Formats: sequence, structure tokens, C-alpha cells
Amino acid sequence: MSQGELPIPSQPNVQQTPAPQGERGDPATEDQAAAALRQRIASQFGRSLHIRTLDTGSCAACEQEIRLLAAPHYDLHRLGFFFTPAPRHADLLMVTGPMIRAFDIAARKTYDAMPGPKVVVATGACALGGVYPADAFVHGAVDRILPVDVWIPGCPPSPLALLHGLLVAVDRLAEKVPELSFASDSASGKESG
Amino acid sequence: MTVWFLRGLRRGVVTTRYPARPDSSAADLPTPPVFAARAIGRALADRLVEVCPSQALDREDDELVFDVGACTACGRCREAASWAVQPSGVFELAVTSRAHLVKRIPLKPERGRT
Repeated sequence: MSQGELPIPSQPNVQQTPAPQGERGDPATEDQAAAALRQRIASQFGRSLHIRTLDTGSCAACEQEIRLLAAPHYDLHRLGFFFTPAPRHADLLMVTGPMIRAFDIAARKTYDAMPGPKVVVATGACALGGVYPADAFVHGAVDRILPVDVWIPGCPPSPLALLHGLLVAVDRLAEKVPELSFASDSASGKESG
Repeated sequence: MTVWFLRGLRRGVVTTRYPARPDSSAADLPTPPVFAARAIGRALADRLVEVCPSQALDREDDELVFDVGACTACGRCREAASWAVQPSGVFELAVTSRAHLVKRIPLKPERGRT
């Protein structure tokens, strides 16, 4: 949730964006910053938040799920979220896709056009850096170009997962993953040899 | 899903009550796997790393590094080792810190090594 202009993205050059796994920041300081951010969002956005979606080369599965949020089953308007086609009206930017380099300028213009405070949500495994490694055509993850505030995993994330992500972004639901280990103590069937 | 359909027929309301109440269709969603830590040795871990199509798995010495953010819940690791890999059933995966999505799972200690 930064306000000023973003630096100009790097030129298409594979060597410039190695972004190793360990460089993802210290969780402790990030937690403090995230807590302050969420407080500010809750007080500033209140009960109405407008979403602009940005497709940076996704396969459109994420878009399909995002579109379903407005369908009667999920009906995200009941929660105070609305889609807007204009970045100047948007509080929240949902970015899908692996951030193709051809989209550098458009992504920066969209981000800069949004009034502050603004939230960036990386949506789907591509946007989180899973599916496409950085190469001459893609940056490989949204957070290499835009300052991401909330990450929603999934391929594609289901509308329920997206709803959870949006509610996490405005601090109306708690995160679950930090407490989970994704390891179980016992094997369900026979032991491996 | 059936519950949702019957409720819609009876009352004419199809909208989910999530997040106030759990959604009945959530059980059908594909979810990232949970690994049985003590059942996976180095060799099996290397095989799981190999079958993962989205680089969500990596092995560092005696740890399996699982990037939940990169996982597409495709189920290939589960096919490769169904006794040690189960679906987690967790679909609420959003986080405010990317580092929280990277999990380190201890592997079975190797016998005959220090």
C-alpha cells in the first residue's frame, strides 16, 4: 500500500530478475507492517471497496473464478465488494497471471492510476510465482513488479478462496495458513519401504 | 452441493452464507496436499520433487520445502505416494506475507547416516 510512483520496470533481461526464494523478506517485520496496513484498510475502506482486475497473461481460469464471484451463489456485493472497470475508481487491484514483460507499462500505469491507499492482491499460482519461472518473456511473479499485499494461492483459486482473500485484505477474516504445517504425523496406510 | 440445491429449491435462496457459515460445496474443492512427515524418506522426496509440475516442492537435506503458493493441487504427488500424501481440505489459503506460504516438512531420518 504505497503511494508514490513505481520505479520503471527493468528491461527484458533474464539476469536482472533472479529473485531467489530466500529473498522474500523477514516474516517478523512483515507481520508488523501487515497489521498496521490492515488497521488502516479497515478504517479507510469501511464497508465499500471497488476492485479492478488485471490480467497479466493468465490462462483465464482465474478470471472465470473471479467472474463467478458476482454470480448469485457467491454474490460478493452483499459483502460490500464491487468490480469497477476504471483503475481510478479502484481501491483494490486483483492481478492474475505470471506478469508477462510485455505488460510492464500497462501494469505500472494501472497501479499509478489508482488513488491511494491501494491494495494489490496476487491471485493464483502463476501470480504467486509457481508455474512460470522468470525468463525472457515473464517476470514469473507479481511481487517482482508491484508491491503485493495479499497472496491468494490456487490454480485457479475457487470463488470461496477468493472471497476469503478479499476478506483477509480488508481484515474481516483471519489468515489460516500461518498456523498450518502441511505435515501430518502418521501415514494413513502402509509405510513406505 | 446437494444441500445447497435442496435449500435453493425449498426457499428460493441460492446464495452461500460464507463466511458467516461454512459452505457445503467447499468439501469438493481440490486442495493442496498434507505430507506424512515420518513416512517420506529422501528418495521418495526426490521423486515427489520430480513429479511436481509447478516447482512447488524442493528438498533441502532432510527437509521437504513445500511452497503452498506455487501448488496447483493437481494431485500428482498424491498419485505417486498415496500412502504419504493426503489432501489438506483447506481452501482458505490467502496470506498477507508470502513467506507464510513456504512450509518446511521434516523427512524420515535416514538409517546408517549421521
